[in-house]
Amino acid sequence: MRTRGRAKDLETYAQDIVNTVREPLLMLDEALRVRSANRAFYQTFQVSPAETEDRLIYELGNGQWDIPDLRTLLEDIVPRSSAFNDFELEHDFPAIGRRVMLLNARKLKAGRHGELLVLAMEDVTERRHAEEEAARARRASDAANRTKSLFLANMSHELRTPLNAILGYSEMLQEEAAERELDGFSADLERIHAAGRHLLALINDILDLSKIEAGKMELFLERFDVGELIADVAATIRPLVEKNDDTLLLELAPELGEMRADQIKVRQALFNLLSNAVKFTHGGTITVTAGRRVMDGAEWIVLRVADTGIGLSAEQIVKLFQDFTQADASTTRRFGGTGLGLALTRRFCQMMGGDVTLNSAAGEGSVFTITLPASVADRAPEGPAGAADAPALPYPADGAEGEASPRGGGYVLVIDDDPAQRELMQRFLRKEGFQVRAAGGGREGLRLARQAPPVAITLDVMMPGMDGWSVLTELKADAALREIPVIMLTMVDDPERGFALGAADYATKPVNRLRLSKILRKHTCPDPPCPVLVVEDDPATRAMTRNILEKEGWRVSEAENGRVALECMERERPRLILLDLMMPEMDGFEFADRVRRHPEWRSIPIVVVTARDLSSEERQRLSGYVETILQKAGDSHEALLRQVSERLSDWAPRAPTPRPGDEARPPAA
Amino acid sequence: MRTILLVEDNEMNRDMLSRRLERKGYRVLLAVDGPGGVEMAGAHAPDLVLMDMSLPVLDGWEATRRLKAAPATRHIPVIALTAHAMAGDRERALEAGCDDYDTKPIELPRLLQKIEALLGGAAPRPAEGSP
Repeated sequence: MRTRGRAKDLETYAQDIVNTVREPLLMLDEALRVRSANRAFYQTFQVSPAETEDRLIYELGNGQWDIPDLRTLLEDIVPRSSAFNDFELEHDFPAIGRRVMLLNARKLKAGRHGELLVLAMEDVTERRHAEEEAARARRASDAANRTKSLFLANMSHELRTPLNAILGYSEMLQEEAAERELDGFSADLERIHAAGRHLLALINDILDLSKIEAGKMELFLERFDVGELIADVAATIRPLVEKNDDTLLLELAPELGEMRADQIKVRQALFNLLSNAVKFTHGGTITVTAGRRVMDGAEWIVLRVADTGIGLSAEQIVKLFQDFTQADASTTRRFGGTGLGLALTRRFCQMMGGDVTLNSAAGEGSVFTITLPASVADRAPEGPAGAADAPALPYPADGAEGEASPRGGGYVLVIDDDPAQRELMQRFLRKEGFQVRAAGGGREGLRLARQAPPVAITLDVMMPGMDGWSVLTELKADAALREIPVIMLTMVDDPERGFALGAADYATKPVNRLRLSKILRKHTCPDPPCPVLVVEDDPATRAMTRNILEKEGWRVSEAENGRVALECMERERPRLILLDLMMPEMDGFEFADRVRRHPEWRSIPIVVVTARDLSSEERQRLSGYVETILQKAGDSHEALLRQVSERLSDWAPRAPTPRPGDEARPPAA
Repeated sequence: MRTILLVEDNEMNRDMLSRRLERKGYRVLLAVDGPGGVEMAGAHAPDLVLMDMSLPVLDGWEATRRLKAAPATRHIPVIALTAHAMAGDRERALEAGCDDYDTKPIELPRLLQKIEALLGGAAPRPAEGSP
């Protein structure tokens, strides 16, 4: 009696604890019957213990828990693993309406009860709505920003036409005034002309910036002599230098040589730094130092502009490189300018895989340093609007280039609909030194990839809307993106599960009706009944599959092996193929291979239905496209991420390396 | 006197550049679109063509290609003028057969240098009593 009393106490104690948990909890036995639930469950779903306990989970509350996804989870996934994490379920619950629930499960040994499955539910509906709202707002703001950039670009262009006339005619009148010795006119005409030129420079800056923001700025790479370029810019700036009683010194390393970059942009970047230096220096010295350095095994050109002018405070430095911002508002009145010059300089340098940095203190002058690859890569990553907005971090003026070496190479694109997973992957990859961009869905992912091709892509298989397979198919169909390695991430727990890589989808036997119809729904039939071909040697399975398919509105043809299937396809091209792998005469592998090599059949989605695990070699045969498949197990994010990182390190360079053909040069003194 | 054919659709640009060139001692012929330019070049055999690239009817790229394809006009040097320095414009211009390239707004000394380099002779004497 006493033992039983103790056991009863313990159970009550356990129940009390469970009742304090704010998330609804369900304790299920191995037959998926409810052993007990906690208070939060009863409150949330507005049901009573009497209509809950000892019932099959699917029967609860008039079958409101009979959800296909949940069945898949409990019947397919849970038996093979002891837990799952963060399974997202969206469902209409009669009492509380449509909710998004995040499900977590753990198997527990429960003494005389045998094994218990604890199912925890977290209502994330509000969070999802907020995320969607935020995403929508972000898209709207991105669109508005692009519209603004486009408007500025068009506007700038329109402004130039009348401005050209002002510049041209004032210049002509100046020439004429000089010829006729009308000295009284000359000074005024010169003023009109100078004001016009100033306006033109401002418009050009705005045009450039809006082009960068709209992703329309291109690089034109050529080889040129660095010393000549510097001398050229110096000659252009000299009149301004003299006007301010400044001295301009050039200190060029003897081995400066040539560089390969966008000459116009390098020239403009250097000119902007110099005109900035002159603007803030009166009766002082401006020194241009140029040299070549080897950092991280790559050659860099380092251009430095030092002045003895008014200098900048730490707060001013942070603001300095931002668009439309000058060190402080009063500077605009004193010194003029759009405040775009430095922002542009920085964008230009970043487009070429380099950067510009600043070291300064108020009253002590400033040192701006441009660091550019000696040979700019052809496809330098061009950050989209906003990507290059991080404020410049000042670093010591001398000897610190090693730390300041900009990361070269491209970025890794993470495509995953799960924000938590995405965030985790991004954080991890960033920590590993990769640049990362993320997309919440297939379409967005493709758009980003087309905008600027990444060095590698991690792709979630299961996504709403456009799934991973469709994304993969589009990637591989695009000549510009085909070569990018793709890492598929799957949600399913068992790595030996029968994935048919490169196939349009997969399912397992015994065929789960709901699961199959779900797959079929993705391959929608625009004009039913659409033809589907079932290739399967077992007559009973064939009949069952036909039954399912016909209910879903498909017109079914059957073939008992690959050879017969090919004959069928000659007669009629199906919209979809369901394929068994193990068949006599011609098996599924060979059949799939033939279909993929046939130009008119290549695009037909094949759903592989397999009874057993596939070996890696077999997957390879079905693959065509995918480099790697990884397991997206909830428990081992770290392990997964590490594997991803290992794969990536094979493809993604962390730092630019010298290109073959560029001879090594000694670092500049 | 050297003759330059200026093919330009914008009236003010045409007026400015032609008057300035005339003042520098060139005779200037004018055309306002691509077909006009091709026809004038064939009929008057100028020493040089200044070709705006964004022309109506037939753009400057195509007009240049036609000039360079015809035996009668093939030898006439063409300088392409484009509205702004787009990356690759220079390459496109040279590919279309242009002999040189310059961007608007026109900087007259720079353009004159290019003209003289192509004409290969001494600078023409300024016209007497220019307008």
